[in-house]
Amino acid sequence: MKFLIAIGSKEYSEPTLRIGMRVAKAFKASVTICYVGPKVSAFSSNVVRLAQENLERWEMELPGVDVLEWAFNFLAAREYITPNIIETGFQKNMLIQSSGSRSELLLQGTMCKDVRLILRSGDIIDELRDEVAQNKYDVTIIGGSQKRRMAHDLVQFIDSSIFVVNKFDYAMRYGLLVPVNDSKSTPKAVKYAVRVAQAFDIPVDLVTASRKEEFGESYKNASDRAATMMRRSGIEHRQHFKVGEADEVIKKMAGDDHIVVMGSSTKNPVKKFFFGSKQIRVMTDAPFPILIVK
Amino acid sequence: MEVRNQLSSNLIYWVSRNIWLIIASIFGILFYFIPAPAGLSIEGWRTIIIAVIALILIVTEPIPLPGIAFIIIILQVYFGVADANSVSKAFMNDAVFFIMGSLMLAVAIIQQGWDARIALGIIRLTGSSTTRIAFGFSTIAAILSSFIGEHTVAAIMLPIGLTLIRFTSEDKEQTTQLSALILFSIAYGCLIGSIGTPSGGGRNVIMMIYWKEYGVEPLSYWRWMVYVYPLVLLQLPLLAWVLRSTFKPEFSRLDSGVRRLKVQVARSGKITDQQKLAAFLFLVVFIGWVFLSETFGLGIIAITGVVLYIVTDLVKWEDINKHVNWGVIILFGAAISLGVQIKNSGAAHWLANIVLNSMGDEWLNIPIVTDSIIILLTTTMANLLSSSATVAVLGPVILNLPGDAIHTGLVATIVSAFGYFTAVAAPACTIVYSCGLLRSKDFLRAGWKMGTISIGLILVYANVYWRFLQ
Repeated sequence: MKFLIAIGSKEYSEPTLRIGMRVAKAFKASVTICYVGPKVSAFSSNVVRLAQENLERWEMELPGVDVLEWAFNFLAAREYITPNIIETGFQKNMLIQSSGSRSELLLQGTMCKDVRLILRSGDIIDELRDEVAQNKYDVTIIGGSQKRRMAHDLVQFIDSSIFVVNKFDYAMRYGLLVPVNDSKSTPKAVKYAVRVAQAFDIPVDLVTASRKEEFGESYKNASDRAATMMRRSGIEHRQHFKVGEADEVIKKMAGDDHIVVMGSSTKNPVKKFFFGSKQIRVMTDAPFPILIVK
Repeated sequence: MEVRNQLSSNLIYWVSRNIWLIIASIFGILFYFIPAPAGLSIEGWRTIIIAVIALILIVTEPIPLPGIAFIIIILQVYFGVADANSVSKAFMNDAVFFIMGSLMLAVAIIQQGWDARIALGIIRLTGSSTTRIAFGFSTIAAILSSFIGEHTVAAIMLPIGLTLIRFTSEDKEQTTQLSALILFSIAYGCLIGSIGTPSGGGRNVIMMIYWKEYGVEPLSYWRWMVYVYPLVLLQLPLLAWVLRSTFKPEFSRLDSGVRRLKVQVARSGKITDQQKLAAFLFLVVFIGWVFLSETFGLGIIAITGVVLYIVTDLVKWEDINKHVNWGVIILFGAAISLGVQIKNSGAAHWLANIVLNSMGDEWLNIPIVTDSIIILLTTTMANLLSSSATVAVLGPVILNLPGDAIHTGLVATIVSAFGYFTAVAAPACTIVYSCGLLRSKDFLRAGWKMGTISIGLILVYANVYWRFLQ
């Protein structure tokens, strides 16, 4: 499996990187850590590049390289990269420009073969979408954003599962909340939930929400199948059947002490864009980390 | 189903990224069929439609700049505003040559490694006092950008400023105010200086082209300097005061940084023959601009400089080709051709009349009122678009306003350089912003003060000092 972890700054990206690496380890995934620098107006793009080349002549770091160096040190401190790479240290001159605005530094990992550090610049959604399309990542991990539109665009346009590490508190004892129903996306979400629960060693709440008082057979079966999978994986779990709008039920049950893992919407993308989806509504207001499995 | 969803997803993505292109297209189609307002020819009406489409696209950049440029060009022909030959004639002129030459000279000059010499020069003049160093940075940036283009100077001076900051403290948290002070001194110094001579920026040359179009004898290189350079010198101490009052640096002296910078500069060795030749060639270009630009044009002389740099092997064509933004050149060509049609179609006259009628003739006969309108329009647009594009589009309208064309044109050109408010308003601001040490709100913090002072100053300056020159 391939994971993409998008980081923004040293100050705010530590939880994203820490949680991202932990989940990636559970999946034994190869990891790419990506910093996307701000978009430069097309009017000034060439002169900015010229100025940055001049900075390199003065042995000055390009913007974003310090963030990648911080990520390197993070990986080194937790031994996610091999001892010989740690000993060599962060070599910024090893950042190789692989295309227009993309530079890459390849490291040898300990939990998987490859760990890549990537530097990009431009609109974050465009850049992540392009990175995912080019390298076929399974999961994109990103920190929470204050921009409501960001959640919508991530779910709508990035063609991989999305894990948004919203407001993660190390002191908190989290549970895992997994909404299950009879949709096609649920089985994959449950599989991912198993790995995440194992990675964090936390109990799982399986919640099935229905607008009606009566729960159909398909809903009950979906919940039972998920429960069976949890039991076989040795994960402590509980089944819940709640009446109400799914997104409201999920937000209420998740509170601020759950990591939510849910399947992606099976709605037509056009409908999803104009009318939203349960996933987008949950993610937009989520005060908790949320993984949407595609 | 999967394929259909993928196609829908791609379509939605395209729509969301190109929403402004779609809005501009719908606007264009709708207004194309609306009859022209009374007093305006159909060509003039359609030229205004194209100008609005161009402004929407330039501000939002949904597609690359050359794409926007080609839309401007083809719409002029398809809308029947002008035939293909007259559009292409207006497309290429001395201003476009100048912008092209200026961008190419920037590549050639930056590669010469003059930055180390400049660093040494600034430090020798200022010593280690933070305030004096900041003043030194803005003054040198202003003087240089008067002649060689603000983006070139910003690119040259950025590493000097950053090196000094880094040598003062490796911890960025301890130098946030110092960083802002130094970087804004560079960026705003470049903006202030860029108005000083015709070769300071593409917008200056565009206005000279428009003066010729309107049958007005343009200012010579010297005459421009006599009109504008005192304003540059007046703004510099005000800039120092604004920045000093906005950003209180953490260090009052930068002894350690200066000492280490000197060591770094010393490593670059003595001035080389190549650097001497490069400086000499630039001097030749400068002399050409001063004494020969009225005969040959600023653009032709800039391109002559490029040729000299190429034939003397001071710069490789591959480097020029790689670093010059051809999209910007094509866009300015297109914007100028649109500007010419705005004048020829009568749209400029009609738009100017709207301003006249809304204000009343008695008000507009007071120069300071006309100046205020020009300043409002130009500063707003220049902070959203680029300064050159603003002058290219607004220039013909402004020259139709009452008053001396040299006065109104010069005011518009000068205030188009007041891109203090946003990081995207001018290449010099974008360059310092791109190093990651400034926040966008820093531009507003310092920008509103500098903008207000500069606007007040130009109103007084233009209506007092220029009167003595006429």
